[in-house]
Amino acid sequence: MADFEEQLSDEEKVRIAANFIIHAPPGEFNEVFNDVRLLLNSDNLLREGAAQAFAQYNMDQFTPAKLDGSEDQVLITEHGDLGHGRFFDPRKKQSFKFDHLRKEASEPQSHEGEVALRPWRDACDEALRAYVKDHYPTGVCTVYGKTIDGQQTIIACIEGHQFQPKNFWNGRCRSEWKFTISQPTAQVVGVLKIQVHYYEDGNVQLVSHKDVQESLIISNEVQTAKEFVKIIENAENEYQTAITENYQTMSDTTFKALRRQLPVTRTKIDWNKILSYKIGKEMQNA
Amino acid sequence: VRVIVRVCACDCVRVIVCVPSLCEDLLSSVDQPLKIARDKVVGKDYLLCDYNRDGDSYRCSTEYRDLYFEGGVSSVYLWDLDHGFAGVILIKKAGDGSKKIKGCWDSIHVVEVQVRAGAPLPVQTGINNVNCFYLPNLGNMDMENKIRSTLNEIYFGKTKDIVNGLRSVQMLADKSKQEALKNDLMQVLSQRSKQQS
Repeated sequence: MADFEEQLSDEEKVRIAANFIIHAPPGEFNEVFNDVRLLLNSDNLLREGAAQAFAQYNMDQFTPAKLDGSEDQVLITEHGDLGHGRFFDPRKKQSFKFDHLRKEASEPQSHEGEVALRPWRDACDEALRAYVKDHYPTGVCTVYGKTIDGQQTIIACIEGHQFQPKNFWNGRCRSEWKFTISQPTAQVVGVLKIQVHYYEDGNVQLVSHKDVQESLIISNEVQTAKEFVKIIENAENEYQTAITENYQTMSDTTFKALRRQLPVTRTKIDWNKILSYKIGKEMQNA
Repeated sequence: VRVIVRVCACDCVRVIVCVPSLCEDLLSSVDQPLKIARDKVVGKDYLLCDYNRDGDSYRCSTEYRDLYFEGGVSSVYLWDLDHGFAGVILIKKAGDGSKKIKGCWDSIHVVEVQVRAGAPLPVQTGINNVNCFYLPNLGNMDMENKIRSTLNEIYFGKTKDIVNGLRSVQMLADKSKQEALKNDLMQVLSQRSKQQS
């Protein structure tokens, strides 16, 4: 076994710790954080060096946030990152401070966002909310209207999760959909992600993603929003159906190709037969 | 649709470089994917694991491997104990990569055979495989079948259920109407059967 004579530098240790944290399965950030804390054995090092990792994790995961006094939730994403630990809620037109470790929102302030894109953003948000309510038992969505590289862009983010650590499982799905309104026909670009972790007496993870591209005709705000959400609904239904079918295919073909449940003869092996055959063969050769 | 199965080999190394004192404990309690090496003398593949540093190498019953795995690589390493012997049986089968799916099945079976003092010894008839005597007992330990069934039904079935709990293809309102109808039907049917009996 290799001898680790040289101690790793603090910087390298923090980099490894951050890497573990960023890859924590949904709902297991605290567990990974606590384990990594033990390995690193320095709370200061962890807090200072890995602060970026905590923020990165929440933005990647589309962590939902709630301000006191409101039932409505907003997603923590890179599109709403205002810097200095503050995030934008485009539906409420406010910004807030977010504690990435406690996952708590505070200090709300009014924040306008891009006024020109507001009608498009609002129409898409309204249509998307209805869709999410129809298909996600615990779904949250956030829609941004932003000018990126001179292009007026609508970005829709959807998140739904179930955390049941007492039953040894956690799962989350996320999707992000974008299109620009600068041309009569737009390209809708979508990314769909699912991650499930089941660890009762074992350890199984499903980590899946799909990229989607579709065309969208830009007319008025309400009509475009309707078509946009139709595209999302069709693609996400297709994706979910494909995953379910994949499980069946995997069971019938790949898994069988790795290890059959029964031998090709369709009966379990008779070991005594094999034994007498083997001894007989060896006696012949002796 | 792309599905990824995570391999934890890299993570093991990452933990060890942070806390070198954990090295031995970690490597002995976490199973790494089996590595294949080639025996150039005999021209056959064999499998590497923690156990084959000492001990004799021996090709395991290929009948079992071929019937359940239709191919694959297997190796068995045995070593003497005070009152018997122990061994590890390794099997590695990789999917053939067809149908755009990649996969690998690794089996590591560790067995210990105790021979009680005074028990009749298998007759030595010049055959060098005394271990054949124990083969039926080892072969009938069907852990692998149980694990394979469990993987298929529980683990894969459960993760699929979780996915369908996160999102519903059918509109949720329609789903609850369907549930309500189903419950009503069941109530009516059970009332009818109570009346009839």
